[in-house]
Amino acid sequence: MLCHRLLARRPARTLYSALSIPIATMSTTTAPVRKSMPSALTFDRHAKCSTTKARASTLHLPHGSVPLPIFMPVATQASLKGLTYDQLRETGCMLCLNNTYHLGLKPGQAVLDAVGGAHKLQSWDRNLLTDSGGFQMVSLLQLATVTEEGVRFLSPHDGSPMLLTPEHSISLQNSIGSDIIMQLDDVIATTSPDHARIKEAMDRSVRWLDRCIEEHKYPERQNLFCIIQGGLDLELRKQCCEEMVARDTPGIAIGGLSGGEAKEEFCKVVDTCTDMLPEHKPRYVMGVGYPEDIVVAVALGADMFDCVWPTRTARFGDAIVSSGTLKLSHKSFANDFGPVEEGCTCTCCRPTDQGGLGLTRAYMHHITAKETVGAHLLTIHNVHYMLTMMGKIRQAIIDDQYPAFLRKFFSDIYGGDKSKFPKWAVGALQGVGVDLLADS
Amino acid sequence: MDQATSASPAMTFSVLASSAPVLAPRVGRLAIPGRKTLATPHHVPLTSRGTVPHVAHDVMRDHTEISSLYAGLEDFIANKDAPVYKTPAADHESPLKKFICVAEDMPLILGPRRFPPIPCPPANTSTSIALLTSVGFTQLSAHEYVTAVQKLRPDIAVGMVDLANKQPGSKRRGRMVDRTHAWTRDALEQLYGKSVAEKDKSKSAYFAPVLPLDNAQQSLYLDDLESEFRWDISGLALYQSASLGFVPESLADLPRLLFSEPETPHTILREVSLGADLLTTPLLGASSDSGIAMEFVFPAPAALQEDKSEPRPLGIDLWTEDHTTDVSPLREGCECYTCKNYHRAYVHHLLLAKEMTAWALLQVHNLHVMDNFFAGVRESIQRGSFDEDVQTFARVYASSMPDSSGAGPRLRGYQLPANGPNQPRRFPKVYGQLEDAIQKFTESQSEVATPDTDASGLEEHGFAEKL
Repeated sequence: MLCHRLLARRPARTLYSALSIPIATMSTTTAPVRKSMPSALTFDRHAKCSTTKARASTLHLPHGSVPLPIFMPVATQASLKGLTYDQLRETGCMLCLNNTYHLGLKPGQAVLDAVGGAHKLQSWDRNLLTDSGGFQMVSLLQLATVTEEGVRFLSPHDGSPMLLTPEHSISLQNSIGSDIIMQLDDVIATTSPDHARIKEAMDRSVRWLDRCIEEHKYPERQNLFCIIQGGLDLELRKQCCEEMVARDTPGIAIGGLSGGEAKEEFCKVVDTCTDMLPEHKPRYVMGVGYPEDIVVAVALGADMFDCVWPTRTARFGDAIVSSGTLKLSHKSFANDFGPVEEGCTCTCCRPTDQGGLGLTRAYMHHITAKETVGAHLLTIHNVHYMLTMMGKIRQAIIDDQYPAFLRKFFSDIYGGDKSKFPKWAVGALQGVGVDLLADS
Repeated sequence: MDQATSASPAMTFSVLASSAPVLAPRVGRLAIPGRKTLATPHHVPLTSRGTVPHVAHDVMRDHTEISSLYAGLEDFIANKDAPVYKTPAADHESPLKKFICVAEDMPLILGPRRFPPIPCPPANTSTSIALLTSVGFTQLSAHEYVTAVQKLRPDIAVGMVDLANKQPGSKRRGRMVDRTHAWTRDALEQLYGKSVAEKDKSKSAYFAPVLPLDNAQQSLYLDDLESEFRWDISGLALYQSASLGFVPESLADLPRLLFSEPETPHTILREVSLGADLLTTPLLGASSDSGIAMEFVFPAPAALQEDKSEPRPLGIDLWTEDHTTDVSPLREGCECYTCKNYHRAYVHHLLLAKEMTAWALLQVHNLHVMDNFFAGVRESIQRGSFDEDVQTFARVYASSMPDSSGAGPRLRGYQLPANGPNQPRRFPKVYGQLEDAIQKFTESQSEVATPDTDASGLEEHGFAEKL
C-alpha cells in the first residue's frame, strides 16, 4: 500500500518542479478555489490586556482544554526526558510536543499506524503538537537542500539521495495523530543575508501550505497550523501573513525565529505579524522559550511557545527560578539545604508534609549530571516552573495587571537594578505602552 | 518460634518459620520502631548516590513497594568536608535519610562501600580500606567509618571488612581476619562500649561481617562474635553464600544479610535455601539497564508447569524487533505501574531512541517482579513446600537470564573499574555516518535520532522517498 502511494506521487513531483513558477504566481495573485478547512479546535478569548496586546484565552483541543498563553515542553522522541506521563501530568502540562522528524525515523510510520498513533504509543491522553520536520532536516543535515518539490537530502546511513515533501510530512503527522500538526515550511536562518532566498522561502512556504492542506486527511480531528515565514523583512512577513490568513487554518505559527537574530528584530517580527493576524485564532511563536522572551512575546500578542531549553538545561543541572537560573552543579550549593526554590509548588520543592518530596539543593548538587534521577527531578521542576509562570501571566492578563507583572518580573531577575534591564525588552514593551523603567 | 533476639534495643528480628536453625530457609520479620517492617527473606534495593538508579523519588513513593535501601558511604564522601555530615536533622532523625531525601520510615542500611563495589587498586591497610569516590580512590579509616555511622544514624550499619580483590594467599587471609576482628571490636566499643555515656550510645543496629573464608581460618573471630561481641551485634553480613554454612548455631537467631551477585533467580533461591534473610540482587538493575523485563514468578504458575515443551525465559529482551508493534504489557497480568500504563512497543521504542524513560519504566517493572518473587518465596516457606517449589521453578524456567542485544545507559566514572591494560574502550567509536554530518551528530548525540536504517528503510518508514 505504501509503495502504491509513493508510485502514485512520482509524476506529481515532476509536475511541481516543472510548474513551480506558474504555481507561485497563482498563489499570490488569484484567489483559487481552496479545500475548505474544518477546525478541530475552539478558541475562547477571555480577556485582553488594556495596555499591551496580551490575550488570555482557552484553547479547546481534542484531548482537553489548554489555558493560553502556554509553554509546551518538548518530548522529542515520545518521552519527556526520563519522566513518566504521570509525572508530566503532575506539572499541569496539557499540551506537549513530539518531533515528526524523530518519530519518522523511530519508530516510523508503519509502527505508528499499527500502534494507533503517538498518543497510544506513549500513553499520553492529553494533547500533542508535532512540528513538520523541516527545521530538524535543515538544521541537522548539512547535506539537505530545499527544492520546490521538498527537502532533498542524503540518507545519513548510506548516502543515497532522498526527498521529503510536504505530503510526506503531513502523511506522517496524520499517522502520529497529533492534535496540532504543522505545515512543512522552507526554513532558512533568519540571519541569512540573501534577500532573494528569503523571499523564495516565504513564497514556497505558502505554496507548500496549499499542498499540506490538500494532503491533510483528518482536518476534523487534527488542526493544521500554517507557519509565517519571511525572515526579518517586515514587508515579506506582512505578505506572508496576508497569504496564509486567507487560507484559514485553525491556528497560525510564526516561524523562522529564535535562530540567533537580534532580540530587537525578533520583537519587531512578532509585533508586525500579530497586528495582521485574526483575533480569534491561536498564535504560536516557534522555538521560543527563555522566560524573558516569552513574557515580552505575550505582550506582543503571542499565545503559544515551545523550547527544549528548560528541559535540556535541567539535564545540565540548571534550575529555572524567578531570579534567573541556578547552576546547581556549582559547589556553592553543596551545603545548601533549602529547596530549589522557596515557595515553589512543584513535586520536588514542596515539603514532604505537603505531599512533595522536599528535595534540597545540596542533594540535587550531589546527583546532578551523575545520576539520571537528577535529570528527571530537575526536569520536573523546570517544566513546572515554566507552566506556573504561564499561569501567572494568564492571571495577570485576566486581572488586567499585565504591565505591573512585567515590571515585577524584570525587577526580580535583575535584582531591582533597572540599568541592567535588557534594552530590547524595554524597547519592545515601550512599543506596546509599557514603560519598564517607570516607577511602579 | 517467635523470639526477639536483637542486641540493639531498637531492632528486633523474629523467626516466624524455619525447619532448622542454620542452613535452612526461614521466614522472619525485622522490625525497627517507627520504620516499615521488613518481611524476610527479601531483597535490599541498592542505591547509587542515594537513589535507586533511574527511579525518581516520586516514582519510588508512588509506584514501587520498596521497603528498605542500601547505601555505601563512599558515594557521599568525595571531599573531606562532606555536605552529608552537615545535613540539618532532629535527634531522632537520620541525617543521611534527610540528605538523600527519603522518608524517615524507610529502613536504611549503610555500609562503607556501594554494592557491587568497584575493585580498588590501592591496598587496604591495617587501619583503613581503599574505596572509590566520584573524584577518585581514597582511604577510609575504621575510626572514620564508625564516626560516620554515629553522625549519619542509619538504621543498620554494616561493619567494615577487609576483603581482597583477588583470591587471597594464606598471609593475606590471616591479615583479613585480624583486621576485621580488630575493626569489629573497636567499632562496637566506640558505638556501644562501657565508656560511652548512655545517651550517646548508638541507636544503629550493627551487622558484623563474616569473611568469605573457611570456618577454620576465622575461628578466633567467630568465637568472639559468639561470646564477647554477642550482645552488641544485631546481625551478620556475609560476602558469599558458602559463609551461610559457617554461621554458628548460637548466632542462628541473628538476621543474615548476604552481599552477593546472584546471576539468576535460581541462585537467589539457593541462597534463600541456605538461610539468607536479606539479599542483594544487582541483577535487577543490570537487567533494567540492558533492556530486559523480568518475567519469572515464584512458585511457577500452574499453567506453566503443565507446559512441558521448553523452558520459559526468565525475562524478555525488549531490544528485539518482535516488540516493535506489540502493545501488550511487559508481562501478561502484571500489576506494576509500567504494565498497567505502558506497553512493550513503547519501551522498545524508548530503548532504541536512548530515552531515559525506558530504564525508569523497566526498573519499576523489575522491582515489582522481584518483590513478588520474594513474597512468593516467603509464602512457600511458610507453607512448607519450598524445596518442591524450587525444583518446579528450576524445571519450568530457563537456567540463565536472556542476553541483551542493546547498550545500557552511559556509565559514569564511579561506576566503572579503573583503567588498566587490555581494558575495552569505554565508549565504542561511532562509524557509518557521513563525514560532513558526523560533527553535528556527535555534538548533539542525545538530541538527534540517527536513523539505523538505509534509504530503503527510510522509505519504508514513510519518512521520505528515494530519488
